[in-house]
Amino acid sequence: MSWSLNEVEGLARKAARGAGFSWGLAEEAGIATRWLMAMGLPGATALAGLLTRNDGVTYTSICPVDTDGRWRARGGTLCPLICGAAICDHAARLAEDKRIELGETAFPLLVLPFAAGAAQLTGKQIEITWPGCAATIGPDGKPGLSETTSVETALTAWASIRVTTGGNAGPRRAASRCEIPAAAAKTLAGFAHRTYAPDTPESRLSGAGAGLSDND
Amino acid sequence: MHQPDPRRTIAPRDPKLVMRLERMGSFHQSRLSFMRILLRRLKAQNWTFEQVKFDINQRGVGTAIYAAHGPERSYSLVAFANDLPPEKRSDRVIATEWDATFTLFDGIPDEEDIDRLSRNVPRQEAGRVSERELSLSRANRSVRLWDHVVEALSQGRQPDREKVEEVGYLMRTTAVYGSGKFGAADREQSAHRPECQGPFQIEMLSVYLTRAFVMDLVEHMARQRAPQTAVPLDPALRRRFGIGNSTGLGMAPFLLNHPALISNWISAREEALARIRSLPAASKDDAQAFRDFAARAELHSDYWSSEHPVQVAKLSRLRADMKALRTHLETADLTGDHPWNRLWLWAEGALSVEGQEQLTSLLMEPYGDLVDGLSDCMSADEARFFRIDGSMPISRLKALIAQIYDWALAIDWDDPAAQARVWYVSEEKLEPRMGERFEEPIEPYEQPLCPGRDAARLYADLEQSEDGPVAAFLLRHPDHRHMVRRAQIAASHPYAEIRDNTISATVMPIDLLRAKLSFFGACHFDPRSDRWVRINMFQHAPFPHELASGNADDWTYPYLAGAPG
Repeated sequence: MSWSLNEVEGLARKAARGAGFSWGLAEEAGIATRWLMAMGLPGATALAGLLTRNDGVTYTSICPVDTDGRWRARGGTLCPLICGAAICDHAARLAEDKRIELGETAFPLLVLPFAAGAAQLTGKQIEITWPGCAATIGPDGKPGLSETTSVETALTAWASIRVTTGGNAGPRRAASRCEIPAAAAKTLAGFAHRTYAPDTPESRLSGAGAGLSDND
Repeated sequence: MHQPDPRRTIAPRDPKLVMRLERMGSFHQSRLSFMRILLRRLKAQNWTFEQVKFDINQRGVGTAIYAAHGPERSYSLVAFANDLPPEKRSDRVIATEWDATFTLFDGIPDEEDIDRLSRNVPRQEAGRVSERELSLSRANRSVRLWDHVVEALSQGRQPDREKVEEVGYLMRTTAVYGSGKFGAADREQSAHRPECQGPFQIEMLSVYLTRAFVMDLVEHMARQRAPQTAVPLDPALRRRFGIGNSTGLGMAPFLLNHPALISNWISAREEALARIRSLPAASKDDAQAFRDFAARAELHSDYWSSEHPVQVAKLSRLRADMKALRTHLETADLTGDHPWNRLWLWAEGALSVEGQEQLTSLLMEPYGDLVDGLSDCMSADEARFFRIDGSMPISRLKALIAQIYDWALAIDWDDPAAQARVWYVSEEKLEPRMGERFEEPIEPYEQPLCPGRDAARLYADLEQSEDGPVAAFLLRHPDHRHMVRRAQIAASHPYAEIRDNTISATVMPIDLLRAKLSFFGACHFDPRSDRWVRINMFQHAPFPHELASGNADDWTYPYLAGAPG
């Protein structure tokens, strides 16, 4: 089934919220997943994997703590959405220090859209690498992937984000539609469902406004 | 003639005045409304229209296609007419069948497209459309008026004008879904096209063609009933039919979810008002044009009816305001000494909020050359403003919040009445709803539609933090991420934020609906509760086949007796 990108963004946002992310981070998840799917990368599958993995896990165990210049999680494994948002928030520092190093990180593909965001924010070319994958993103936010053997990896021991001046490995063209594998769509729909309030007799009567008759 | 580039000496109105729910809930359509932008373009570019197919049987079941041909592209309204049993006729999201369903197709559909659409469009939310479709919508009949019109026409006479005016439309749409919904094309697919650059132009075109279809259908049904005696509608009476719409909470969050876009809409309107108030003088023709529009607006307020007590009271104030304006205009000099600013300052003291906002729209009418170009500034590249500036110092963010959300910092949020309501999404309907925080188990499902409270919470935590970049604060406080983004958008978009509590015990969601619908160009707001409203669209507008010779621009107010209509 062909999905519109707005549908993908909405599903990803709701799913992330259903999985316990704050609304602000859920919005980041929506934009990030949309960006990946438009680039032909398996963003929805990665998000479904991440939300399943972190279901019930506390924020403080997966958010980055800066130790010796390398971001690590207290619980062992970093969340790529929280790290990604923080990378964009720290874009000015990235432009100055030239790099951010991540320790063990789940689904590193989900960091890629934020590296693109940082490239746009800083006006500089950004390279992101993890074992088996290297991508450069120009200030226009379009990625070129030179190594793609592990875009689907569920866990990486490290990832590195740095400002570079090297060549861009052929930017991808953004697509206007995408396909989400049925299993990932089902998982995300399940998380999204948690954001819906079960109806009650009172809410059925008044939630939309009882008022006057529809027909005239 | 007014100056082509007048110096704007009067500033646009303060957002703290404009962005109150009471005032937003009193907005009126204007030259900058999206349906007027659409018709001006269609006329200026000589768009042509064609009934490509009209295959509808005696029971009123079948398919029709209306094509609109522009300079570069064509668009087609594909309509599926239904014979709906009366017990299934409901406006609300609970419905599963409608009198007619529609999609706006990008181009001209072939037989394969029509076959695919016939299996999906009538099912609406339960069906699936594709990137070839730009919108999805449906409509139900006003049974009372429909039966009257079919009967009258079939017997060779015109319907009763009073009955026509009482309802104002033969069908009302109950949802017009756009950008990307149910598989349709994303707005990004068409946003670069000149004819789609204004907001909601696709949806407005769909509704405009829907009105044409509905009028053709009612005449067709009269002919089917009595081919020997049936007559078509008199063209002038025909134009008195608009297309209705019932809108509920599904639309309300839009204003809160698109702060940059809303700011641009309202900025355009306020800039228009400021330009006109800044004019040092007005020509006699412009002054007379204004007097005529004021008289037409008075007539419009007389035709506008509602049973809702809040709107009944507002209408009585509006009618009194229009009368007061007429009396004032009998002696007022409208030509010299900044005439429009003098009039405006008079209105601030003499008219209710309804009347003041009606005047805002009226002042624009004679000044197309000052106003219409602002319609190019009403879209927004929202993605550009999504990223948070993490380097912003906490002290700067605090100052922003103290300035933009001062009204929210003054609210006692521990008072249950201040947080009485919760916006949530219903599991059964997948639609936004509003409930009672302290009476229903809905708080865990709360949507982020209460910027005032969230700004106050953010401010409290910022006060506990040492100064430094907001990036570090956000890592510690992920719950504030949404609100930091909003505050930063509001910093560069003066009219982005509503300056009222959207979850208080007294909030009226119909105020949000009216603000948005007035920008569409809707008239005759008729709230049916505090949460949904009926409106009329395109009433008095020329039909597609009349556009080349008709008045494509200032049709929204009823014409004065003796004027061509």
